[in-house]
Amino acid sequence: MNLSDSKKKLALAGVICGLVAACLAYFGNPANMAFCIACFIRDTAGALGMHSTETVQYARPEIIGLVLGAFIISAATKEYRSTAGSSPMVRFVLGMILAIGSLVFLGCPLRMIIRMSAGDLNAWVALIGFVLGVGTGVFALKKGFSLGRAHLTNRVSGGVLPALMLGILILALATNLLKSSESGPGSMHAPILMSLAGGLIFGAVAQKARMCFAGSIRDIILMRNFDLITIIGGFFAVMLIFNIVSGNFTPGFNTPGIIAHSEHLWNILGMYAVGFAAVLAGGCPLRQLILAGQGSSDSAVTVLGMFAGAAAAHNFGLAASGTALNAETQEVVAGAVPMNGKVAVILCIIVCFVIAFTNKRSEGK
Amino acid sequence: MRKKELKLVVTFHTTADAMAMEKLCREQQVPGRLIPVPRAISAGCGLAWCAPTEERDHLTEVMSSGGIDLEALHECMV
Repeated sequence: MNLSDSKKKLALAGVICGLVAACLAYFGNPANMAFCIACFIRDTAGALGMHSTETVQYARPEIIGLVLGAFIISAATKEYRSTAGSSPMVRFVLGMILAIGSLVFLGCPLRMIIRMSAGDLNAWVALIGFVLGVGTGVFALKKGFSLGRAHLTNRVSGGVLPALMLGILILALATNLLKSSESGPGSMHAPILMSLAGGLIFGAVAQKARMCFAGSIRDIILMRNFDLITIIGGFFAVMLIFNIVSGNFTPGFNTPGIIAHSEHLWNILGMYAVGFAAVLAGGCPLRQLILAGQGSSDSAVTVLGMFAGAAAAHNFGLAASGTALNAETQEVVAGAVPMNGKVAVILCIIVCFVIAFTNKRSEGK
Repeated sequence: MRKKELKLVVTFHTTADAMAMEKLCREQQVPGRLIPVPRAISAGCGLAWCAPTEERDHLTEVMSSGGIDLEALHECMV
């Protein structure tokens, strides 16, 4: 089925992805998180022992499903192309920035939309930073930014990340080698097979529709093209209805228990770094997983960078904490970004500027 | 809503090449515009140059003189 030859079908693709996210939230994924790429990569990194924060360790089948879903559908429809060679180590660093910026805000662009649909005004504030970040990336593109072209490579190369994801799935299903949280967000999840099925469907639809949060805003700024944002609109509409019907729609800034904080400057700067890095890397965290699934080793390296960045965010105390309710005093304890996280975000933005204005098209010729 | 017409679509290896193409065409007043690569052509999410089909020879000449590498030339409904 062609999901991209009309805006109605693109909106339908967003609706399908929204239904998947709503189902997973209903059946156990953390409130207001539902389907977050950065959070789920962070949880999976924890399950693999890359960090030791005990509350966020769980091999999320959604991440595995996204990559495998994109791999299977692209292979089945002859769109699988094994490519590599476009500045892989720069992409690794951009992947780290995507994860660190997201974990300072507490969510990737996908979760930003989910949080917006639940009335979390912090996410609407962060959207400002995300749009500005994408805009800065577009400015760099206009100034000739390029990481160089990718080349066709051995077919097996593009299949390595999907194979690694399959390996993690087998470890999760057949052994007790992986860590698994007993409390906190990592302990909250939908049944494994449902999560896997959700990831597979989401991955296949996202591959067919080319769903991308950074790309949708890039296309509006650059070409006044609203195709990709139509998918996001469909996704947002479903999550908004789900949140209202399920009683999760709570407009406000300091809502406890939804894994969010109200440090506006750092919400903006965290997502600014994510938007900027996403344009430079050629796609948001979700899109990187999909591109990796359809054979791009460059995106696979970006995904590995996201794993490293997520691990660093917890090993070095960069990740923000969410606003919570003190069980004893019933007082609201405001979430915050630690000093290390603030320094890291500033460094991430500086690195984005260095990458954006030192990698030029003419150099690759 | 814009009516779909048969157009010449030029795809590139990088987004930067597409941006350079836009700049070159503007300078030389060659008709056309940047578009997202049509889904029928690619699963990628890069940019392409869309122009009237009768501009094929002229565009090829302009790209050659401007040092822009194209990936492929397509004709499709845009």
